[in-house]
Amino acid sequence: MNYMKVILISGRTVEQGTSLEISKTSEEYSNNVAMIMMNENDMKEIGVKEGENVEVNTKFGSAVVRCKESKIDHGIAFMPYGPWVNMVIGADTQGTGMPDSKGVEAEILTTDKDVLRIANVITQIKGIK
Amino acid sequence: MIYKNIVCPLCGCLCDDIEVVTENGRVADVKNACAFSKSKFLNHAKDRAKPRIKKNGKLVEVPIEEALDEAAEVLKKADFPLIYGLSSTETDAQRLAVELAELIGASIDNTSSVCHGPTIQAAQDCGAAKCTLGEVKNRADLVIFWGCNPAEAHIKHATRYSITPRGLYTESGKKGREIMHMDVRETKTSKMANIFVKVEPGQDYELLSAFRAVLKGYDGGDVAGVPSETIKQLAEKMKSCKFGVIFFGLGLTMTGGKHMNINAALRLVRDLNDHTKFAIIPMRGHYNVSGANDVMTWCTGYPYAVNFSKGYPVYNPGEFSAVDILARGECDAALIIASDPVAHFPAQASKHLAKIPTIVIDPKISLTSLIAKIVIPSAIAGIECDGTAYRMDGIPLRLRKVIDSEFLPDREILKKIIEKVKA
Repeated sequence: MNYMKVILISGRTVEQGTSLEISKTSEEYSNNVAMIMMNENDMKEIGVKEGENVEVNTKFGSAVVRCKESKIDHGIAFMPYGPWVNMVIGADTQGTGMPDSKGVEAEILTTDKDVLRIANVITQIKGIK
Repeated sequence: MIYKNIVCPLCGCLCDDIEVVTENGRVADVKNACAFSKSKFLNHAKDRAKPRIKKNGKLVEVPIEEALDEAAEVLKKADFPLIYGLSSTETDAQRLAVELAELIGASIDNTSSVCHGPTIQAAQDCGAAKCTLGEVKNRADLVIFWGCNPAEAHIKHATRYSITPRGLYTESGKKGREIMHMDVRETKTSKMANIFVKVEPGQDYELLSAFRAVLKGYDGGDVAGVPSETIKQLAEKMKSCKFGVIFFGLGLTMTGGKHMNINAALRLVRDLNDHTKFAIIPMRGHYNVSGANDVMTWCTGYPYAVNFSKGYPVYNPGEFSAVDILARGECDAALIIASDPVAHFPAQASKHLAKIPTIVIDPKISLTSLIAKIVIPSAIAGIECDGTAYRMDGIPLRLRKVIDSEFLPDREILKKIIEKVKA
């Protein structure tokens, strides 16, 4: 199993923004949000192809998402705002109210696991101790 | 029916040139709208929430009055209730949410605590030289986008206010404007800019400070992956423009340093005003998050993260901000209105909403409504009811109703809950 350390950034995309207006329980929303963007060389290094799943691990949690090629720099990965990236972001705000939603150290691994469906994400959130 | 010059209730741009065509009680077509706006108007009737209460572990549909009664009971019983959201509704509803918070001794917070809260903290520290989007359109010859991606988040910003529009002193439109984009990654916004500066992640504070140092005659060398010469050239461009403006986004507020990044940006703008006219405007996300700050400020004296448990308002981000209250598991009930924390908070914070009685007021089935105890559906402000919203530059604009709705506006729901709590 290959892995790579990256700086993870989360943010808005047009597809995330338009599909959440349709329905957050729709396939379209899951397809546009349960994903990570990485550059071509980083994907080769891990051994993952466009559309394959990867596991994103941080010290706060873990999520399985689909990998998408992007022109982003080496060592940086981007995930759209949504419940999947929420799994790997910490809740400590250092007294500011604002969690670290951008610039989180993460490890990306190849995986055989499936992307969690939205209903399962909700179940997982309910189960966090 | 054709409605012209409708204000769009989507993002902080509040574009007021939308044309909406309605047929048989539905929005049939939308013109002049961006992809987000079009999706919101055309899908307004889809995926609507219904009044529901959790009974024996399952959300079951109930008459609206029963949901309102139950919500009032939960809030009355709670020792430390949290009211959170407010940014995707109109100002009357925001004012009533503050009234309810005072009545039940709640903590009340809006979504700015996870977007531009750090911006507010920095402005409280050192002030902010602001201007309106109209001034940008009519006067700005240098526009800097820092840590933001309007091409994918504020889609019509460039054409209505900041890059291409021709104004009073900007007759040549884009040709007469220098556009800079500072960000950790190249995006669609970089393509609209004349100059793209790639900043090493987490180094925005350093680069902003380097610009300030150069303006004061110091040479800080290469900073944040940007060569010293480039920093000097860009600083010269900033000094020599006629009217400059920085638009900044969550690339500054969400990264390490948070309010200190904004503090550096606000102070850079203040320093630039020694040389020319310069202003700074945060790129506000939700269409009325700016209004949520303004309404809370004129009601309580504070813009967000306010607690009423002592009977008077106390302000303290980090203590009374929603993520912190939830992550520490402090609140014993929550009223979530016009926002969806389960979709946008760290899971470590939103998990608590599943453990306590959570009330959701939302037009749509939100992810938070899936873990709620009580769901109260509402009309969509700006489509199904009127109201007022504040643009990202603090200008209030009137939202209009274009469709009759079977659902109550947020303000009517809150009025009823307040009456029931008082009864």
